[in-house]
Amino acid sequence: MSDTFFALNRVASRVGPIALVTVDNGEDYRKPTTLGRSAFESAVGLIEELESGDWAAMVLTGKPFVFCVGADIDEFTRVRSAEDALEGTRAGHELFGRIRALPFPTVAAINGACLGGGLELALHCDARTIATTVRHFGFPEVFLSIIPAWGGTQLAPLIAGPEAAIKLIVSNPLRQNKLLSAPEALELGLADRLLEPVEFVDESLAFAVELAESGGIERGAPDWSEIETLLRKARSRVDDAVHGATRAPYVALELIAGAQEWTIEEGYRAEEAAMGELLASPQAQASAYAFTVVERRTKKGAGIADVKPRRIAKVGIVGAGLMATQLATLFLRRLEVPVVLRDLDQPRVDEALATIREEVGKKKPFLATIVSGGTGWEQFEGCDLVLEAVFEELGVKQEVFAEVRNVAPDAILATNTSSLSVEAMGADLGLHFFNPVAVLPLVEVVRTSRTTDEQLVTAFDVVGKLKKRGVLVTDAPAFVVNRVLTRMTTVLMDALENGNTVEETDEAILSLGLPMAPSVLLQMVGPRVANHVLESLHDAYPDRFPLSATLANYADGGDEIVVRGDARRTVAEIREDALEAIADEARHLLDEGVAETAADVDACLILGAGYPFFLGGITKHLDQTGVSERVLGRTLAEYGKIPV
Amino acid sequence: MRELREVFFVDGVRTPFGKAGPKGQYWRTRADDLAVKAVRELLRRNPEIPPERIGDVVFAATAQVGDQGLTLGRDVALLAGIPETVPGFAVDRMCAGALTAVTAAAGEIAFGAVDVALAGGVEHMGHHPMGDDVDFNPRFVSERLIDESAASMGQTAENLHDRFPEITKERADAFAVASQQKAGAAWENGVMQETVVPLAVFSDAGWKVADRDEFLRPETTMEALAALKPAFRAGGRVTAGNSAGLTDGATAAFLVSEATAGVLGLAPKLRLVGYAYAGVEPHLMGYGPVPATRRVLEQAQITLDEVDLFELNEPFAVQVLTWCDELGIDAGDPRLNPYGGAIACGHPLAATGVRLIAQLAYGLRERKGRYGLTALCIGMGMGCAILWENVG
Repeated sequence: MSDTFFALNRVASRVGPIALVTVDNGEDYRKPTTLGRSAFESAVGLIEELESGDWAAMVLTGKPFVFCVGADIDEFTRVRSAEDALEGTRAGHELFGRIRALPFPTVAAINGACLGGGLELALHCDARTIATTVRHFGFPEVFLSIIPAWGGTQLAPLIAGPEAAIKLIVSNPLRQNKLLSAPEALELGLADRLLEPVEFVDESLAFAVELAESGGIERGAPDWSEIETLLRKARSRVDDAVHGATRAPYVALELIAGAQEWTIEEGYRAEEAAMGELLASPQAQASAYAFTVVERRTKKGAGIADVKPRRIAKVGIVGAGLMATQLATLFLRRLEVPVVLRDLDQPRVDEALATIREEVGKKKPFLATIVSGGTGWEQFEGCDLVLEAVFEELGVKQEVFAEVRNVAPDAILATNTSSLSVEAMGADLGLHFFNPVAVLPLVEVVRTSRTTDEQLVTAFDVVGKLKKRGVLVTDAPAFVVNRVLTRMTTVLMDALENGNTVEETDEAILSLGLPMAPSVLLQMVGPRVANHVLESLHDAYPDRFPLSATLANYADGGDEIVVRGDARRTVAEIREDALEAIADEARHLLDEGVAETAADVDACLILGAGYPFFLGGITKHLDQTGVSERVLGRTLAEYGKIPV
Repeated sequence: MRELREVFFVDGVRTPFGKAGPKGQYWRTRADDLAVKAVRELLRRNPEIPPERIGDVVFAATAQVGDQGLTLGRDVALLAGIPETVPGFAVDRMCAGALTAVTAAAGEIAFGAVDVALAGGVEHMGHHPMGDDVDFNPRFVSERLIDESAASMGQTAENLHDRFPEITKERADAFAVASQQKAGAAWENGVMQETVVPLAVFSDAGWKVADRDEFLRPETTMEALAALKPAFRAGGRVTAGNSAGLTDGATAAFLVSEATAGVLGLAPKLRLVGYAYAGVEPHLMGYGPVPATRRVLEQAQITLDEVDLFELNEPFAVQVLTWCDELGIDAGDPRLNPYGGAIACGHPLAATGVRLIAQLAYGLRERKGRYGLTALCIGMGMGCAILWENVG
């Protein structure tokens, strides 16, 4: 990462010299500007020049397409103590506070991505212009189990009011880290002028001149009258999302509320104290790890050979059920190539085609004309990729691939199976998507002993074009996500069958901070599918995956728990048992090479099951809490072959 | 018989001109973005002209590739926010690009094809060094169709010195010093404020505002120029000091029909009286404006004495001096380039023409003059001259 620097240039204007400051790192937009040690070193000289000059105003902006994306996340994984955290936080307060105290109007000209510390820098200016094209504006800190501690929790409520501050700092980060667009930032009062990008810096300079002439911007006092209600509602939403498992959102709410009474200096001190607690916390460290796993490792496509992918000009989908329909829609929309469906009876195919055409035809009518389907195999002729999503039975799938191979001998044959052997069914590889396909980004790309490099590279290329994230796994029953979740389910079923209630097993898992109760997830996946996966895993590993009469009951449409004994456990005991089982299963996944590293297990759980960043997927949490040590005698990070 | 429609020049604006190359102010700015800035400023200064009323956008560039490719007139119009219903095209006549854009647009107006036209030019000589990517046909040399030196503009300037030995290096240097001094004064007295729009540009040292011509050196002296080495040949007379540097810049202008000026309530500055292009020996390309000037005066039946202002391009001092000697105008005539010229501000090939017209309009208004002439020479041996009447 290149060093960040602040460049100061003098611009003549009718009100006097304007300081035009650029925060830059000398790279193009693909390497956004961050605020790390180098930035603060560069800022020392800048602030002195600003304080001692004859300036009429300042405009602070970023290099093309980027304003500033905040603290360098690599730096905070190196934070080991509360003192380190305190020092970094103070450095920001010291610098930003001096910018806020400048005796002339200051304008942050937000020309591009403006995140975290970058946004705090902007909030320390008197006013903000924003380019209409900005789509990344927000505070991701709480998503990473920390808080915006360079004045963000104090200035956001003072500038835009507590309701906007709560949305920006707490609610949005917990909604899959939702960021604001420029019009939204304006609407919330976080920006003062929405400007077209074409002459953005020129017009921001003109705005600064205007401010210098008018003496500054009029801002009403924030409305604190509803603060108690706002906090109560926000806390309840936070509880729903994280169940108390990470402190950051709660602390952020306290700090926002504090801004009503505190001076800015008191607010800074409160942020420093809070950051001292949070930055070195296991949740923050796990989040930084998860960020690295998701944003770096899986984006690079770990473990993929360097060969050219095959061009995909026609795709076949076997099946016309719910999953097949979703997959056909995705392929059509993202690849924009002909897609053909095949199922046993024409009315079922027609129904799927109608759904797909309705979905894709809205924006691009031609897409509705290049999807077709029928009951014959010959329509797969000329396909480059055929993906199967039919009933989960090995014999059926073997028949499917034999037929497809016959009419499309050169096609890459892929299966969306969730638990069967890819190789045994005669597919070249697995592309395991997660339901709902539109929401969950993960695709487990399953390699068998026969998968060629070209097939694998093509699979990853296609997954990328589908805007999904591929993680490489090897052919083993249920791959990673379903295997881990099912292993956990065996613990929960065991508890239920020994006297615990569904409320207790749900609470055991929710208290980890997972987004969804296991009983709800089970209904979403479908008990029939879940039981089928369990059966497959039982066949392979009978000791670790005992069959469950209760789950079988659910699968048959019943709701009766089949009690086998009376060994009722506390919620905490259930949670510990579940975690130990997961640690043990993760070990087996690594031993068998199903996942190459613990990081790949985590990537799968984060992207495919919505596991939170603050658990670091799950293995980071298991390592941090000593579960791995207890079960394996060492951490899973050490157990994996390649450290992240 | 259909009647000819009169064509008026409403307004013209330019970016400051920059030094081509990595050290110039526009090194990290795209050529089309420079043009967009000039166009948007023109639209801003002329709010009476609704952008959807523009009938055509004509843009010139010599190198029509890269950030000057993609049919500039259309590209720039869309990038500037002009409605997509307004068409555009690109023209090239090297140094006379912008003047050709203006006369082509004027033709459309005179014919009744459009009522309002936007014409301009851009040249980013830093991104597009002269002759880059040009593949000269070997027949030019093997069949002696042209003298080899015609391909190098500096050589053609030396050729003028050879042809007219009475134009010495001293005369050229004196002309250059005067050009710099007049340009320096022009930045103080208002003409540049009226015709130049500053713009923020990104650089290795952050965002800056380009608000001056980078070649401007009002402090230039004869002694300093005398010390400069010849740029194009041993013993030559053409130096960096008495010629225009390689330049980046853009210009844009509005032209309208007489009737439209009335309908929209515009206050046009100039009436287009006539124009002429002429061809000369390619290796003496600087001579081109001489026959072009004679031809346009003859068309309009106007004598040189009746012309109150001359805005001539100054790629080389010797080129202007040749024109002066041939037409009998003293190089110090106050009617000639009163605000300096390309020696002081630079010459971004296809952009220059509109600068000349905008300054001519300002000058005629200041002097309450009637007729004015803009002229320049063109590579491969051509010249252009346009005669205007002050209606401001």
